[in-house]
Amino acid sequence: MSVDKLRVQLQLCLERFRRGELAEADLAQALALAEPSPQQLLYLQAGGSSVDSRVIGMALIAGGEVQEVPADPEQWPYQTVLDAIRAGWRVIKFPELALLVHPDQTIGLGCEFVLEK
Amino acid sequence: MLPATYDCPPTLSDQQILDFCRDGYLVLPGVVPEEINRRTVAFLEEHNGPQPDPILGEEWFTEAVLKNPAAAGAVRSLLGAHFRLPGMMANHRTHCPQPAQKWHRDGGSIYNRRLDYLQVFYYPSDTPEGMGPTEVVPGSHFVRSKSNYMRHYDCIRHGVRTAAPAGSIFLTIYSIWHRRGKSTGEGVRNLLKYNYWRTTPPRRDWLADLAFNFSWIHLSSGRPTFEQFMDGIGAAELFTWLCGLEQEYHFQGGQCWPVSAINRAPYTQEGLPVGLWPHPL
Amino acid sequence: MSRRTCDHPPTLTDSQVLEFCRQGFLMLPGAVPEQINRRAFEYLETDTHYEPTRILDFDWFQDQVICNPTAAGAVRSLLGPGYGLPVLMSNHRRQCPHEGVGGWHVDGGSRWGPQLKDLQVFYYPQDTPVEMGPTEVVPGTHLVPNTQRAMAHYGRIRGSASTAAPAGTIFITCYRIWHRATAAPGSGIRNLLKYCYWRSAPPARDWVREPGFDMARANFSGPAAGFGEQFHECYSAAEMFCWLAGQHPHYQVTGGQSWPLPALRNDLPYGFNPALATV
Repeated sequence: MSVDKLRVQLQLCLERFRRGELAEADLAQALALAEPSPQQLLYLQAGGSSVDSRVIGMALIAGGEVQEVPADPEQWPYQTVLDAIRAGWRVIKFPELALLVHPDQTIGLGCEFVLEK
Repeated sequence: MLPATYDCPPTLSDQQILDFCRDGYLVLPGVVPEEINRRTVAFLEEHNGPQPDPILGEEWFTEAVLKNPAAAGAVRSLLGAHFRLPGMMANHRTHCPQPAQKWHRDGGSIYNRRLDYLQVFYYPSDTPEGMGPTEVVPGSHFVRSKSNYMRHYDCIRHGVRTAAPAGSIFLTIYSIWHRRGKSTGEGVRNLLKYNYWRTTPPRRDWLADLAFNFSWIHLSSGRPTFEQFMDGIGAAELFTWLCGLEQEYHFQGGQCWPVSAINRAPYTQEGLPVGLWPHPL
Repeated sequence: MSRRTCDHPPTLTDSQVLEFCRQGFLMLPGAVPEQINRRAFEYLETDTHYEPTRILDFDWFQDQVICNPTAAGAVRSLLGPGYGLPVLMSNHRRQCPHEGVGGWHVDGGSRWGPQLKDLQVFYYPQDTPVEMGPTEVVPGTHLVPNTQRAMAHYGRIRGSASTAAPAGTIFITCYRIWHRATAAPGSGIRNLLKYCYWRSAPPARDWVREPGFDMARANFSGPAAGFGEQFHECYSAAEMFCWLAGQHPHYQVTGGQSWPLPALRNDLPYGFNPALATV
C-alpha cells in the first residue's frame, strides 16, 4: 500500500463529496489502494551512529523480493539514513552500539539501521 | 607426507607489502601464459567437480601456475622462503548467468596480526564483470564478523570486483570478506582456489629498501568501516610481524606511527620500531 | 633523524595534576605574548594548509609557543623530563561565519587506560570567543571509553565546556577527551593550532609537591560522574594520578566505601595502600 497514493485518492474523494459528485468507483479505488502489500525492508549500514552518516552498505527487500541495488554507490537511492527517512522509510532498528565500543576491534559492517515502509 | 616446499626470488617491494597488509588482497593480471590457461580450462572440463585435485599432479600446471614466477614471487615475499605448495585444489565453477552469492568469510578464519598462509585464486579464462568475478571488501580481513551474520549484506561501498583477463592470479588474506559477483553473461566461469603455507619465521627479506622512510607513511585507507586510523594500525601490526619485529612494535596511542601526516618535520615518527628506521645510504 | 627533546621545570602542583586527572584538560589563558600571536596569525595567512608544520622551523615559535614557559611547565609536570617536542603541526582553520556544529568524537588512535604518554595541545593565536566557534569539550570524558562511530549521533551534552578564550591561550588535553567543533556566527579567520608532545621517561611524582597533600584524603570525584556507575570517575582519576606518580603497582580498589571514594572519614580510608602515603 502506498500511503501517499491513498492519501491523494481520499483527498479526491473528499473534494468530490463536497461537490456532491462522489461515486462508488472513487471509494472502490481508495479501497484498492489500501490493500496491504508485503513489508518493505531497507538495510542501511552507515559509517556512524548518526542518521546523517554516509551509507556504506545497502540491501533492499520490496514486493516480497530481494531487490537489486545499483552496483555504483553514487547511484544508490539514499546516501544517508536521513535521506531514506525523508523518503518515508521508518527506522525500526538502531545500531547496536555495544559492537562499536572496542576501538581495537572492528565488528561488522558499520552501524546498521533497519528501516521499513 | 606434506606437500613439497618451494623457494624463488621475492618480487614485492616494501610499499606493495604495506598495501597488501592494509587491503588484504593483491591482483596479478594475466601472469599465466595463454597456452596454460587453455590447457587448464580443458582439464577442468574433464574434471568438473568442486575439487579437481588431480591437477596438482600435472607438472605443466605446477610449474606455470603454482610456481608462476610473478605469483610465486609474491607468495615468497609474503610467506618467506621455502613456502609450502598447495595440497588441495578447489574450483568454484559457475554456469553463468547467476545471482550474486552471499557475502562471507571462509570458515576457519581467525583474527590476528600474523600471516601464516595465503588463499590464492586463479582465473584460467577471461573473467569480466559479466562473468561474476569474485568481489572482495578491501580491509575486511580486519573486520570481525560471522558469515551467518552477514547474509543480509548486499552492495557494499568500497567493494572491489576482481574482473581480470585470463591467467590472472590474486592473492588474499584468508579472512577477507568476499562473494561471487552477479553474472549476466553466459558460459562457464572457473575459479581455482588453493592455499600456500609459511614454514619459516617472518623477516623483511622481500625487495626491501633499507632507505625506505616509514615515518608518516599514508597507511590508513580512510574507509568508514573503521574507527579513524584503525585499519592502518592493523596493517602496521601485520607489517611489523612480517618484518620479524613484532616485539618492537606497540601502538601507544595518539598521533604516533602509523598515523600519517602530510607536512611534518624531518624527524623519525614517534612509535616507529627501531628496526624500521631508515638506514643512511 | 632522532626526535628532539626539551626540558623545563615543572610548574603544576599535586592539586593541579589531580585536577587534570579529573578534568582531562587544562586552560592556560593568554599564555603566549601578543606580538607572538600576531606573528603566528600573519604566518598562517601565508600557509593556509591544514598541516602548517613549517611554523615549527621558526625559533620565535619554538621559544614562545612550543616551549612557552607556562605551557612547557605544565607539559613537563604531566609528561616528565625530556618529553618529545611536536614534529607535526595541524591547523583547524576556519573562515567565519561557519554554520553547523561538528560531530562529537574522540580522535583516532585514542587509547583508554590510566596511562598518559602524550598530550594533545591547542593554541589560539587570535581571540576566540564563542562567536568564533571554539572547540567544545566534555570535561572528564578522557575517563569514559567511547568510539567515534558510536558517538556520531550525540547532540547537546550536559556538562560540556567551551574553550572560548583570548588570543595566546594554550589548552592542554588528554588525547582521548570527547570534543567537537562549534558553530561560528562571527566573522573572520579562526585558527586553531594542534600539536602533540610525547613522554620519554617513566612517570614519577616529580612535579611541584604540596606539603599538605594527602593521597588518602584527596578528592578524586569529578565531572565524569554523570556518565557511568556511581564513583566510576573516582576510580579512574585515582588510577591515572597513581600512574602519573609512578605508583600504579600500588593502586588498588578493594570495593565498597573504600578508597578512593570521597567521604568524610574520621580515620584513614580502608583500602588505601600505605605504600602510597610514602610517595
